[in-house]
Amino acid sequence: MPLASRLFALLATLWLGCAQAAVNEIDAASYGFPLANPFEATIATTPPELRPSLPDDADIDQADYSLRLRPRRELPDNFWPVKTLKYRLARQSGPAPLMFIISGTGAHFANIKTEELKRLFYGAGYHVVQLSSPTSYDFMAAASRHATPGISDRDAVDMYRVMERIRDQQHDLPVTDYYLTGYSLGGLNAAFVSHLDESRQAFNFRRVLLINPPVNLLTSVSNLDRLVQTEVRGIDNTRTFYDLVLGKLARYFEERGVVEIDAAMLYDFQSSRQRLSDEEMAMLIGAAFRFAAADISFTSDLINRRGVVIPPTYPMDEGTSLTPFFKRALLCDFECYIREQLLPYWRDQGDGNSLLQLIDQVSLYSLQSYLAGSDKISVFHNRDDLILGPGDLGFLRRTLGARLTLFPLGGHCGNLNYRVNTQAILEFFRD
Amino acid sequence: MTDALRRLLLTTLLATSVSALAEQTTDADGFTQPLERLKFNPQLDQREFERATLVALVNNDPWEEWNRRVYHFNQRFDEWVYLPLVNGYRFVTPRVVRSGVSHFFANLGELPSLANHLLQLQGRDAMTTTARLLFNTTLGVGGLWDPASRMGLERRSEDFGQTLGYWGAEEGPYLVLPLLGPANLRDTGGLVFDTALGSGANPAAAAGLTEQGTAYYGLMAVDRRHINDFRYGQLNSPFEYEKVRYVYTEARRLQIRE
Repeated sequence: MPLASRLFALLATLWLGCAQAAVNEIDAASYGFPLANPFEATIATTPPELRPSLPDDADIDQADYSLRLRPRRELPDNFWPVKTLKYRLARQSGPAPLMFIISGTGAHFANIKTEELKRLFYGAGYHVVQLSSPTSYDFMAAASRHATPGISDRDAVDMYRVMERIRDQQHDLPVTDYYLTGYSLGGLNAAFVSHLDESRQAFNFRRVLLINPPVNLLTSVSNLDRLVQTEVRGIDNTRTFYDLVLGKLARYFEERGVVEIDAAMLYDFQSSRQRLSDEEMAMLIGAAFRFAAADISFTSDLINRRGVVIPPTYPMDEGTSLTPFFKRALLCDFECYIREQLLPYWRDQGDGNSLLQLIDQVSLYSLQSYLAGSDKISVFHNRDDLILGPGDLGFLRRTLGARLTLFPLGGHCGNLNYRVNTQAILEFFRD
Repeated sequence: MTDALRRLLLTTLLATSVSALAEQTTDADGFTQPLERLKFNPQLDQREFERATLVALVNNDPWEEWNRRVYHFNQRFDEWVYLPLVNGYRFVTPRVVRSGVSHFFANLGELPSLANHLLQLQGRDAMTTTARLLFNTTLGVGGLWDPASRMGLERRSEDFGQTLGYWGAEEGPYLVLPLLGPANLRDTGGLVFDTALGSGANPAAAAGLTEQGTAYYGLMAVDRRHINDFRYGQLNSPFEYEKVRYVYTEARRLQIRE
């Protein structure tokens, strides 16, 4: 018997296709997603005509609510908007299942991707709660106990508390079952929240979907940090990268004659003479993430009074300029935030010492046996996702098997609003 | 048709060239290693993001302290008064009514727009705007409906701030206006001009609609917020003020260049 099984294992590894056959792999020919360039897909996402038809905002019964979770936290006056945590709830008229959506890195609950998912689930009959990312400015200031995001299990505890408070606040909402999803970093958060729920059992999520989650957090952030290091031609002393992109946009508008910025414009722009190169698009994506990193560094430092970005006792009121601190914070990328704030904080907590240990603890690796044994969890990922590194898909294949759905294209979350994907998402949650 | 065809061809071309490239770098897990396609600066130490952003933060904002206070005021007003009003408006009116109201005020806005096209010697745009005004006022029943867009006459709005910019006027210092939001000195002057022109030659006033002043201007204000998608806090950044300032300034420059 052991010999037979070993032989079988050997055969299985030799038969390269075998391991892959177990995974729900969408083949490239039938997938039909039109953007083969992962950078283009990440920025522009699906062309409008290939998106699903979703309910209009006017047809959704929704409102924003706020929670006061950290009443004793002292923030300067100019941070009054983030003294309470807001979330958005879309309610069905009768009893229905409830979907929690966790947004991606630095993203607000009203981020366009979260909104699109809300409309998708609402249209399919769910109550929907939209949540800001634990790495976002409002969540860090208003909900996080330590305001040093990145330690996934602690972030999950904060998130779980928010979700429980939401349920208390909405106690009259007739909920039949709880479901959970998250995209990008929100996917990783969802995995840890689901793991926590196994012991706390407040929600007993029926199904959990992780969409394009990072596998190794360090790989993902160093990929993102690297994106602003691409070689872009045409940058010189008088022209910065932004000038270059804006110049291209301006020339494009001059050629077309109309400034009408919408989804369709992006595709037209990318097929015009002014189209952006891969390096330029990478730089643009990298820049967006650098702004998120700057926000995290600043907010974490402000709340914890570390004095890395802003002096701990700096006097502030509503008229105070934050530009000097913005300038300092934007010098700090994700790896800098880990080095200067996250790692020292984590060491102080006595959880461990080395960076590798930290990364192991906060990445999907630490949940491997949970993910492998939990049938309710699935992962949707893309073969050309920018936040992955070699070996990450291998980890997901081994761990999730048939519960991993692998799309051939889409970049990072670019196919989230593609009809084939949205259908697969709804299908997964259907009983 | 040919345009669509060309785009299709381009995408297919792109797709085939990319998949050829992707095949070379796909690993055993099926990962296509998208970053391998990029040319990186060899030392990975260029500071272009930092440099570009620092340059972008150089701006003409001598009244920043005042501006920031007004910004906070606007945000509070938005949260406590303006948006609740808009939500109430959305709740009590059917969609047809809302779109009728939006079209009505947009149609009135075509008059100052036309004047500004003429002032910038944009003959074609002026013709388009005139045609829109005529069709929408007659066929569109006083502007409640927008048949002109369906005929392919797209809206080309132009304000006096743009006209001033077109003739080389400096932007002047950045200015956050109470209730109205981001502007600069030049655009504030433009706004005063457009408003004066709009109320001086207002067909709605001639029709006696503005006699119910509060209702008329109230509806105008609510409609203006209703069609504006910007929400404070949605950027979710402690540096929202800086980002809004940059985007406003650059967007205006683009509009003027176009």
